[in-house]
Formats: sequence, C-alpha cells, structure tokens
Amino acid sequence: MKRWVPVGLLLLAVALSLYPLEATGYGVRVMLQLFMWIALAQSWNLISGLTGYVSFGHVVFFGTGAYASSLLIVKAGLPWPLACLGGGVAGALLALVIGWPCLRLRGPYFAIAMLGLNEVMRVIVSYYEGLTGGGNGLSLPTLDASLAIYYAMGLVAAGVTAVTYAILTSRFGLRLMTIREDEVAAEAMGIDTLRYKLYALMLSAIGPGIVGGLSARDQGYIEPISVFPLIMTITMIVMALFGGKGTIWGPVLGATVLFFFQEAVWARFVYLHQLLFGAIIVAVVLLMPRGILGVLQQKYNLPRTI
Amino acid sequence: MAPILEVDGAVKRFGGVAAVNGVSLALEPGRIYGLIGPNGSGKTTLFNCITGVDHLDEGRIRFKGVPIDRLKPHRIFHLGVGRTFQVIRVFPELTALENLLVVTTTGYAEARARARELLARVKLDRLADQFAGNLSYGQQKLVEFVRVLMTDPELILLDEPAAGVNRTLLNELLDAVRRLRDQGKTVLLVEHDMKVVMGLCETVFVLDHGEKLAEGAPGVIQADERVIEAYFGR
Amino acid sequence: MVGQVVISGLLAGSIYAMVALGLGLIFGVMRVLNVAHGPLLMLGAYTTFWLFQRFGLNPYLSILVSMPLLFLLGLALQRVLVRRVVDAPELSSLLLTFGVSIALVNLAQLAFTSDLRSVEYLTGSFLVGPFAISKPRLAACAFAIAITAASFVFLRSTRLGKAIRAVSQSREVAQVCGIDVQRIHLLAFGLGSALAAAGGSLVAVMVAIQPEMGQVYTFKSFLVIVLGGAGNYPGALLGGLLLGLVEQLSSLFLTAQVNEAVAYVLLVLVLLVRPTGLLKGRV
Repeated sequence: MKRWVPVGLLLLAVALSLYPLEATGYGVRVMLQLFMWIALAQSWNLISGLTGYVSFGHVVFFGTGAYASSLLIVKAGLPWPLACLGGGVAGALLALVIGWPCLRLRGPYFAIAMLGLNEVMRVIVSYYEGLTGGGNGLSLPTLDASLAIYYAMGLVAAGVTAVTYAILTSRFGLRLMTIREDEVAAEAMGIDTLRYKLYALMLSAIGPGIVGGLSARDQGYIEPISVFPLIMTITMIVMALFGGKGTIWGPVLGATVLFFFQEAVWARFVYLHQLLFGAIIVAVVLLMPRGILGVLQQKYNLPRTI
Repeated sequence: MAPILEVDGAVKRFGGVAAVNGVSLALEPGRIYGLIGPNGSGKTTLFNCITGVDHLDEGRIRFKGVPIDRLKPHRIFHLGVGRTFQVIRVFPELTALENLLVVTTTGYAEARARARELLARVKLDRLADQFAGNLSYGQQKLVEFVRVLMTDPELILLDEPAAGVNRTLLNELLDAVRRLRDQGKTVLLVEHDMKVVMGLCETVFVLDHGEKLAEGAPGVIQADERVIEAYFGR
Repeated sequence: MVGQVVISGLLAGSIYAMVALGLGLIFGVMRVLNVAHGPLLMLGAYTTFWLFQRFGLNPYLSILVSMPLLFLLGLALQRVLVRRVVDAPELSSLLLTFGVSIALVNLAQLAFTSDLRSVEYLTGSFLVGPFAISKPRLAACAFAIAITAASFVFLRSTRLGKAIRAVSQSREVAQVCGIDVQRIHLLAFGLGSALAAAGGSLVAVMVAIQPEMGQVYTFKSFLVIVLGGAGNYPGALLGGLLLGLVEQLSSLFLTAQVNEAVAYVLLVLVLLVRPTGLLKGRV
C-alpha cells in the first residue's frame, strides 16, 4: 500500500505537467485556479486545522501578497516570479506583526481580530491611493504568462501540501496539535505556545502571499475589493472543512470537489449561485464538521498522515 | 539546606474573594509534602500560581531562589517544576508516546528512547501507540504522571493523584513517588484521600479559606483541633 | 470643534450601542458570533423603506413593525439552525451565521435588487449654540436610547430578563435553577434580531439602503462587544459610545475611510491590555 502512494503522486504530477499540452487556454486557467484554491485551503489548514486557532480573515495574506508583489513589479521593476516570492514574504511579515499581539487572544476574540485585520488592510490599501491606486485599482504591464503561472501555482499547491506533510510528521507538528488539544496543558508542559502559534501563522501566510501575487499577475489588475473579500476566506475554510481539516489531503479533496462544483453551478445558476453556496456552508457545518477524511479517519482508524 | 520552593505571603483574588490569602510555606529538597484542606480552601489556586497558570496579586514565589511568580508556565516548567492536573489533561488525539515526546527539547531519538523507558516503567509500553483519548482513566493518569517526568524536574506538583484510581494503580503511583523522593526530587501533592496523605507525606500543610491553618507531620496534623474543625465544623 | 465631534460621536454611538447590544445578547447567552447581524439590520431597514414607500408610514412608527417581524425571523433562525451550533467551537457558529448572512443578502438582492433606496423623511439640522445637530441623527439617537433603556429595564427587572442574565453567566447553574435554557436561547436570538432591526429602521432615514449595507454594522458590533466585554451588557453601551466617539474624533485628523482602521487599532490595544474587554467580560 505504502509504495503506491509516491508512485501515484508521481504519475499525478506528470499528468498535471503535461496537461497544458492538450488543454485549451481556458482549461489551463481553470486548473490554475484550482491550484490556487488548494494552496489557500491547505494554508488555512496549517494554522486553523493544526492549532485550532480560527483565522477568519486569512484572505488578508492573499491580498497583501497581491499588492506587495504588484507594487514590486510596477514600482521596482522586479520580474514577476521574484515579486511573487516577495508577496509571500510580505504575508509572513504581516503574520508576524499581527500575530504577536493577536495570538494571545482566545478563540472567538482571535477570530474577530483576524476579521478586523482583513477589513483594515482593505481600508489602508484604499487609502494610500498614491501608492496603490486606491479604489481605482492597480494595473500591471500586459503579459500573457498563463502557462508559467499554471506551473507556479501548481508548485505552490504542491509545496504547501508537502510542508503540511512534513509538519504533521514532526515534533513541531505534534506541538502545534497540543495547542489545539489543550493549550493550558501544553504551556504547563513547557511548550511556548505563543511562539509556536506565531510560526504556524507565518507559515500559513506564505502560501496565500505568493498565490496572491501570482493571481494578481495573471489577472493583470487588482483592486481592494477583489483581493480582500471575506467570501474568499469563507471559501477556503469551507473547502478545508469539507475535505477534513487537520489532515493532509483533506483541503486538497475539499478544494477540488467544491471548486468544480462551483464551476458547474456558476455556469448554470448564476443568480442562485451565492444562495447555493450559503446552503453548502450551512450543510457542511451542520452535517460534516469533521470533513470527509476526518470521518473516514475516525471510522477506519486511518493514520494521521492521510 | 536552602529551600527549593518558597511561597511568601501569596494572595490571589478572584473578584472580591481571596482564594489564597497570605499563604507562606517553604519546601526543603528531597521530601514529600502534602497540601490538604476542605474544598475551596485554595489548594488548586495555589498550585496554579506556583506553576504560572495564574498570577499572584500579592506576594512572591521563589524556586531555588529565583522569583517565578511573574513567569509564563512554560518558562517555569523549564526551570524544573512539573505538574499534573486535577482533571486529567492528556492530549487525546496524540498517542501515549507522542504525549511524552512533545515535552522535551532534546533530540528526537533521545526523547523517544526516554519516553519508551518511562512508559515501560509504568507498564504502558504496549499502549505507546494508542491515542491517549482511547486509554482508560487509570492509564491516562499514568501517562500524565510520566509525562511530567520527561524532563526530570526537581519539583513535582501532583494535583489529586489518587482521585478515581483503583487500589493497585494507586500503590504503583505511591511507590513511584517514593522512588522520586529517593532520587532527591521534591514532591508536593494536593490530596483529599487522608490515608494517602498520612501514609506518604513527611510534612503536611493545611489550608482553609485561603489561609494556612497548620503545618507539620501527619500525626500531629491529624490530631490538631483546628484542622478537625475546618473539615468537620464545630 | 471638539464639542461638535463629541456630540456627533455620541449620537452615532447610541445606535452602535443598541445594535451591538443585540449582538451581545446573542453572544453572551449562546456564545454564538452572529455574522448575520448586519443582514438582519438590513432587513429592518428595508421593512421601514417599503412601509414608507407603500403606505407612507412614519419611519419611526415602522419600528413597531420591523422589530416584531425580525424578532419572529430571529426565533425561526434560532429554532431551525442556530441552536445546533450553540456551544460549538467558534468556527461552526461563524460559518453557519455567515451562510445565513449570504442567504439573506442574496434573497434581498433577488427581491429588492441592488438599487440604492432611501427614505426621505427628516432632513437638515438645527443649531444649538455653536453646534449643528442633524435632525435624523438626533431622532435616531433618541429612539435608540429609549429602546436600549427599555432593554435594560427588561434585563434588570423582569423574570425573563434575569433569566437571560443568569444563562449568560452560567448555563448549568441556570438549568439547575429551573430555567428553560432552550427558551432563553430563542428569546435571546429573537431580541438580538429585533434590536438589529430597530437599528436598521433608524438608519434607513440617514443612509443608502442596499442589500449589503449591514456588513459594516456587523463588524462594528463585533468591535463594540469586544471593547465592552463579552456577556457584559452595560459594556456594550460603553463600547458603542466609545466607538462613536473614536470614529468622529479620528475623522478630525484622518479621512473618514480610515475610521475603521482606527477602531481596529483601538480594539487590538484594548485586547492586549485587558483581554476580556474594557469592563469585566466573560470569555
């Protein structure tokens, strides 16, 4: 059984790499977006699935990365791959700055603080019009790099998944989980919970930061509303939940299923789309809070690295 | 010999109530101490203040001469103070082994070896890879107990170690505590089970309504009228 | 100048306080973070609008309709959905109420379209000494104070009100005392919704009405609850007024846009110094 997994993954990687040769431009962009969602859901899983601290404004790292990398392209003339990495760094820095005070807060308060952070970043970005173009948005020099961005997104999605695997099989990951299980006991057992939470938050911000930059580059244009929307946070959360938070493949599964579902529904029921999404959210929360893999894990005593 | 732990005029208030009201005590190294008192007398609060889970409003606590009353729990732990909890706090979705592994900062292999050794000492080695949440109450209690020993702390605080535990297991625990004392560790335990306290502890502190009522050898305490009154009323 | 700002701040703050009290009731009693609070306010605003449009009903009288109406909606929401996430980890209640919020906003969009509406009833301001007081704001403040005061009388003096406070403090003890906790949950959500509706009716006269108008009030209500302390009902009052003041004060030095940022920074500062809020809150 164990040997099949790496072989399977390799085949998958090869298939996805060769996909653009066969697919249309549209197909490539669809897959590109799927990779983005996988990266986002997986990153949210790193902080909230493992430590139990609900980041309810996680898209703020996406938006920050988008603006940071776009500004690096436009104002500093950096090539986009570097700029996107800069977006990841920006995300991590923001996580450090905001995490240090806010991770001391307990459950609901931390969620509210993250939600507030998202709103505030949106407002700040709109305010500094001179730099960011404010409400008018920021345009990037025209470039058709869909193919390269496809691979880049894929790499980030794979990277975040790999990092999740590495963490879940390490003592660092165990310590993160103790924070989720019983933070008081964890502290009493010598674990500096603030420091670990901070690491987790920073790690969880890099993926969205880079992906934000890539997405901005792909669209060629960003504005505050499009990169700091609460609905994106919710979507990545629901994807991770649906597949199974705290697992490795859960977010991947959830992102894939929900993304294609959305694509199908969006095309057909444009007006009901949001309503249906609301219904899905309610359904997932009430009916399957552990997610598909979570339930399977419990039922069949599957290992943690599922 | 210098005391290993000194509590000096400790006061802790919740709202208008002083749960701990001017308690002072000193622990000599290498002895087993008991902390008893009726419910609500402030025992667990005192424990929490010593281990940094709560902070004193007044007073000082010194561990090996170092003031610890303002430190965070994990710092106090690394200075050499370990504790167990009144309500068992193992990490349920981690295995017994992992529960122990997360504690140390030594290398992974070294920690693993020590964890297995400790589990073997309490005859739980075959359950090492079971999720702690699936273990029985008594087994969880043992896991929590040896978890504290992973870093070889010098002062060990046990919060009601005998609660809910059957006779055999209890005797094993008590033997383990005596062995710790023989190795030079200091143990302070909160207990309601008088037989345990009288049989195990060398010195007993009695708390009542947040104040230290009496202090001395178990026999003396048992006969002390004030103690009897505190427990049973007049 | 400062005096003007203080007055404007208090006027605005009184509405924040009332709406936040609604959210606070829901959080205090059930530990549910109601992201749908804004949309409930929005529905109150639309109720007022349509009653004014169709029947020329005085917007301030329409409160007598919007509050009971949304109270009933609140009861229904609690009965069917929210009660399943009471006491659940905050993620569940956040997501669930968010789902409800999307549904409500979208239903509103389908039913009312996204066109901006307004209620032209009271306009202009009158001068008191050197201060200009906006008429609709003053009226709104007066009603908000009245409704909030009534709420406090209810909480303090009636059996149901005391029951609500009891459940907020300790559910187990309340149950042991014979309080029907399920009923209190229903009541709390209904009341919370009614207060949001009142807020909507009052602001309908002052702002543009559209399906997404509630979001900013949700956020601000969250801020107020955190500032004042969870489960601390007088705290919501204090927090609301404080928020109103801070907003107006910061608009002296910064543009209106950055107000939210200022409020947020205030929030983080308060939380760092007193993690349970300005007044004693319960976590």
